[in-house]
Amino acid sequence: MKNFLKIKNLSISVEDKIIIKDLNLNINKGEVHALMGPNGCGKSTLSNVLAGKEGYNITNGKISFSGENLLKFSPDERANKGIFLAFQYPVEIPGVTNINFIKTALESNRQYNGLDPLKPGDFLKLIKEKAKLLGISDENLKRQLNVGFSGGEKKRNEALQLMMLEPLLAILDETDSGLDVDAFKIVADAVNSTRSKKNSMLIITHYQRLLERIQPDIVHVFINGSIIESGGPELAEEIDKNGYERFNNV
Amino acid sequence: MAMKDSIMSNFLNLKNFDKSFDDLSSLSQLREEAFLNLKDIGIPSKRFERWKYNDLKNDIRNIEFSLCKTSIKIKKNKLDKFEINEIDYFKKNKDHYLRPLKYLKDEGVVYLNLSYSNLFKVLTIKKDLKKPIIIDIQSEGHGMSFPRILININNNVNAEIQFLNRGGLGFINQITEINIGKNSNVKISRLNESSSIHSETFFSNLGSNSEINLKNLSIPNNKSRFQVFNSFKDEYSFAEFKSVSIPYENSKDDFLVHNNHLSSNCKSDVGMRSILGKGTECSFQALIDVENKIRNSRADQDCRAILLDEKASMNAKPEMKIYNNDVICKHGTTIGSLNQEQVFYLNSRGLNKFEAEKILLQGIISEYISKNSPLINFLPEKYK
Repeated sequence: MKNFLKIKNLSISVEDKIIIKDLNLNINKGEVHALMGPNGCGKSTLSNVLAGKEGYNITNGKISFSGENLLKFSPDERANKGIFLAFQYPVEIPGVTNINFIKTALESNRQYNGLDPLKPGDFLKLIKEKAKLLGISDENLKRQLNVGFSGGEKKRNEALQLMMLEPLLAILDETDSGLDVDAFKIVADAVNSTRSKKNSMLIITHYQRLLERIQPDIVHVFINGSIIESGGPELAEEIDKNGYERFNNV
Repeated sequence: MAMKDSIMSNFLNLKNFDKSFDDLSSLSQLREEAFLNLKDIGIPSKRFERWKYNDLKNDIRNIEFSLCKTSIKIKKNKLDKFEINEIDYFKKNKDHYLRPLKYLKDEGVVYLNLSYSNLFKVLTIKKDLKKPIIIDIQSEGHGMSFPRILININNNVNAEIQFLNRGGLGFINQITEINIGKNSNVKISRLNESSSIHSETFFSNLGSNSEINLKNLSIPNNKSRFQVFNSFKDEYSFAEFKSVSIPYENSKDDFLVHNNHLSSNCKSDVGMRSILGKGTECSFQALIDVENKIRNSRADQDCRAILLDEKASMNAKPEMKIYNNDVICKHGTTIGSLNQEQVFYLNSRGLNKFEAEKILLQGIISEYISKNSPLINFLPEKYK
């Protein structure tokens, strides 16, 4: 599907400060886009707005997803329609076990989409299978959600949720940060395994190393709330080599 | 001063009260002594520091001045053997009647109960219990009641006790006293879903190497006060108090927990979790008292309240009276609404606002009331 996610002339401000200016971005079904930019350029703002977080003032523009006006939906409706945000800093939720949380989220998603809940045995088999790929132990599945998890464990857990929920559009907000070399490979490979012609990805990152493992179709350079250049994977290589200096002068 | 006060005049005029006191004649001297102290001290109001968030005197002003129907039912496993006595116990052990005053000398509700106690249960537990004892205190209708429960636990005994306080439309003023022998361990689950104005004063006296774990679920549908006084009589004892408070709309839940470290090497741990909706108020006073010569004490206090409505309020007053350096203490209080970052995280996984809030509140409750706790069955449906 063309223009699966379509962002048109989007401007966002927070407390009168303009964060995103006149942004245009189209992602087709099956495509992987990478958004690269320096700190504070508005990458996380964009991911939060796509997921429906409150506190942002959309001063202009439109966002459509799968042909519908995304902005009219609440965060949970967006999630159930297939948008998934892998958080840069996943929050801790005490008192809720990881496995129960994922089960509740999956059931909510299936119910919204008119599907029967998975049988407990099938769910258990599926989550254990996915967890194994990510090196998440049964013990960690029973722990409270993200409570006391290391940075790497939290990111693995985000990847596990991504694999279980099978979203149509995954937004990965600096999923590579806080991961050691081994965990990085595991998480990147897990994310890669979810890639298909039926879904899309928007990868937000500072570094090219993630894009070496999850090859994007298109790379966007995002500076001061605007996309100032788009290209193929070679653009990421250039940024890795020379930084953002050339783009700062555009 | 007191005689001019209408509520005190009612209490002082015994003739107006029920005649069920006839069989208490042998204790009349002791009751008279308590009564004279009540006359001096009066019914608690906000002018007493310990009652600064509660005005009992005003609250009970319109309560019908008669005894209401109250029962204390003891349910137990057939295989468990322990003694159950009533007023006869105090007739035989008169020196035990005023024993609460040994631990607390200036408390109006204690004097009030000792003046008018009308319902007694005394349990003496000499051996380990196989199953929990359930003490079900039910009140009906208007009027007042003054139940008194005394539990003596011998040395080297493990026991589990559930208290259920329920019902009524009047005023319940209860004393519960638990004496725990050395090397004994008592686990208590207490439910308060009283619809009366409810005041309970709970004393525990801990022998050496003994332990009391009190888990409390309070869902009052009126004004409630639960005050706990733990006295560490001997070394190496431990008292834990963990409470969840979820008052009904326009209800008030008031707590005071006083851990009196009278012996060295003792530990206390106090925690409160409050979920406060429209028109509710919760107060939590926690006092740690460590005397000069007492060594190696550990005392923790922790309070967390979630305000779900603009018209909900929480008062937290941690206090520490510590007269030596050999103490480790910890205290912390957080009061606020639900963490919106957590709500958004759950929303972003497809859970709507109601489901997200439910999960977060269940998480807070589960810190103190686990899946295996008997109290879980009494949680309001939306938190189960």
